Amino acid sequence: MDLLNQVILFGGALFLVSVLASSLSPRVGMPLLLVFLIIGMLAGVDGLGGLQYDDVQSAYLLATLALAVILFDGGLRTDSHNFRVGLKPALTLATLGVIATAALCGAFAAWMLGLKWEQGFLIGAIVGSTDAAAVFSVLNMQGLALKKRVGATLEIESGLNDPMAIFLTIIMIEFMISGEDGVSWTMFGQFGWQMGLGALIGLAGGRLLAYGVGRLALSPGLYPLLALFGGITIYGLAAVAQASGFLAVYLAGLVVGNRVSRGLYNIQRFHDGIAWLAQISLFLMLGLLVSPRELLAYAPSALLVSLFLIFVARPVAVWLCLLPFQFSWQEKTFISWVGLRGAVPIVLAMFPWLAGFEHWPFFFNIAFFMVLISLVLQGWTVAPMARWLNLDVPSSSSRVQRVELGVPGQVGYEFVGYKIADGSPALRLSTDNLSLPAQTSLLCVLRDDQPLPLGQGHAFKPGDHVYLLATAADLVALDKAFVGVEEPERLSALAFFGEFAVTPRAKLADLGTLYGFSVPEDKANWSIARYIYNKYKQPVVGDRVRLGQVEFVVLAMDDARLTKISLKLHK
Amino acid sequence: MDIQSIISPSRTLCGIEGISKKRALEILANTISADVPSIDADDLFRRLIARERLGSTGIGKGIAIPHCRVDNCDGTVGALITLKAPIDFDAIDSEPVDVLFAMLVPEYAGDEHLQTLAALASSLNDSEYRESLRTATSDAELYQAAIAHQMASPS
Repeated sequence: MDLLNQVILFGGALFLVSVLASSLSPRVGMPLLLVFLIIGMLAGVDGLGGLQYDDVQSAYLLATLALAVILFDGGLRTDSHNFRVGLKPALTLATLGVIATAALCGAFAAWMLGLKWEQGFLIGAIVGSTDAAAVFSVLNMQGLALKKRVGATLEIESGLNDPMAIFLTIIMIEFMISGEDGVSWTMFGQFGWQMGLGALIGLAGGRLLAYGVGRLALSPGLYPLLALFGGITIYGLAAVAQASGFLAVYLAGLVVGNRVSRGLYNIQRFHDGIAWLAQISLFLMLGLLVSPRELLAYAPSALLVSLFLIFVARPVAVWLCLLPFQFSWQEKTFISWVGLRGAVPIVLAMFPWLAGFEHWPFFFNIAFFMVLISLVLQGWTVAPMARWLNLDVPSSSSRVQRVELGVPGQVGYEFVGYKIADGSPALRLSTDNLSLPAQTSLLCVLRDDQPLPLGQGHAFKPGDHVYLLATAADLVALDKAFVGVEEPERLSALAFFGEFAVTPRAKLADLGTLYGFSVPEDKANWSIARYIYNKYKQPVVGDRVRLGQVEFVVLAMDDARLTKISLKLHK
Repeated sequence: MDIQSIISPSRTLCGIEGISKKRALEILANTISADVPSIDADDLFRRLIARERLGSTGIGKGIAIPHCRVDNCDGTVGALITLKAPIDFDAIDSEPVDVLFAMLVPEYAGDEHLQTLAALASSLNDSEYRESLRTATSDAELYQAAIAHQMASPS
């Protein structure tokens, strides 16, 4: 009984410390996952806590469960509109890219460390995939707003590439156990089964789940749980059927996130918390599991392989995979750099142990150390890298404080509330001349805890609380109107997008006469939109095309259609 | 180039009341034409409207810089008006506009007017400058506030 209580105390304290430590992380820019890992290591066998934890069986169970939850949450947040620009490159990276990375990295490991080639390739396969947890958490950190093409590709890639790495690892292990007999063409059939059935179960299960969330009458607090356990069941179903559970659960999350409208906000908020819990548990546990002293013995070899992976294998694979797509060198460099490794390699490194390999600690420690290097070197520098490569775009959605409430019985409408702060653009307006989106109505304004009579043209004052009825699509416009856009000077919209907005339909020749730049004769009749589509098949906000002394920058899009272009005059 | 060489006291109007986007452009055209007789108000108004049709000249933060080319003028000619209440201008950031700085460029001017336009836009991107224009209460005050600013010289 005493022991049990001690376990509870330790566990609680460990999580508490992790949660508190997360408030420090943004200040030092250290990736959170690394913080959790280090706390785990500190509590562990060689650290202050001296906790002995080496039960790989339970670790594997917990890690799998945590990964499933993280992937489900990742799917919930992936906007299916991102697929327009991100899906094809991400699919290529998640399949060919993983193979290329694993092969290059494996060959180097075998040569450098003097291993048998199959052992080298096993290492390559283990560290082959980027980690969804790490990529999601790094991309969401510090309000980094990336060009859609880059952000979408990275996010979808990290959600999709784990099954490939798992498959490669299993092939290598089977090969090492039973020699060449173990590997046959039927394995490719198996791969097709894993992916095909995994995708099928994920998509179908996701639809069913979305339908359930939309139709069942439950107590409001139960919807997020319905989604969570639905997701876990889908993982289990796929895994039991020998299909890829990770693929299934990611796709299920994606379907639920994009099909459910009622209560989605609650579900996402709940899963935000659950995904945090999963990440903290996962990385704490992995930190506990490893023995830093043992780890150090493998440090030199792991470091060499890591550096090769980061600076050669991943960039080469990314460059090859993205050849057919329109990515600038800056975008490719950034995608190469965000090849973050995380929990998946460490979990895969348990496979040799599960297969009963004698020298499994070798694989485990090498993989663990490589993940550490990747988190430190890449995780720490993602935001500065994005700025250095000029890939972040002015963001309007940086932490806006607003209250959102669902409207009972109404799909699509929400009550939103804002507190007017100093510097809000609304201060220059009054309740009369507020120009609101068409489907939005002002409900009330509270000043000093008293409602103001509407329709008498009161000017807004700092400290007012404004409540409106609005559709979800108008929230961005409302944020702009009531909170305003604060951005660093460097990324002010003027400096980034240029001076004037122009319609995509404007003719190049007309603009040429107005601004005194020459337009090639064959293009005189072209609209700006055509000129841009001529350069980018799938333009995203922030893309720029030059013509003479001016530059056209894509300012706004409605799905695949250009709606606003801006004109940047060059000084 | 400085602001003083673009506007004049008679082309600076403060606190105009109750108007629309179209009316604001008309006031700008009339103001300029009254001061520079070689420019026809109707023609100028049509050109300004034609430019707005290509896309709003509202550059954000409540500022608009309507501009176009004109035949009969030498050098860059401008006019500045501020409004009592902001009007909808379909601006780049969808904020309503209450400061309008029109700028006309001679038909045969070269590259330097582009630079003037860019420099004017970046001057008006300075929040202190914007506020000084907004707090002016008379035409004369507005003119003084406007020319007090040193425009970044085009490099």
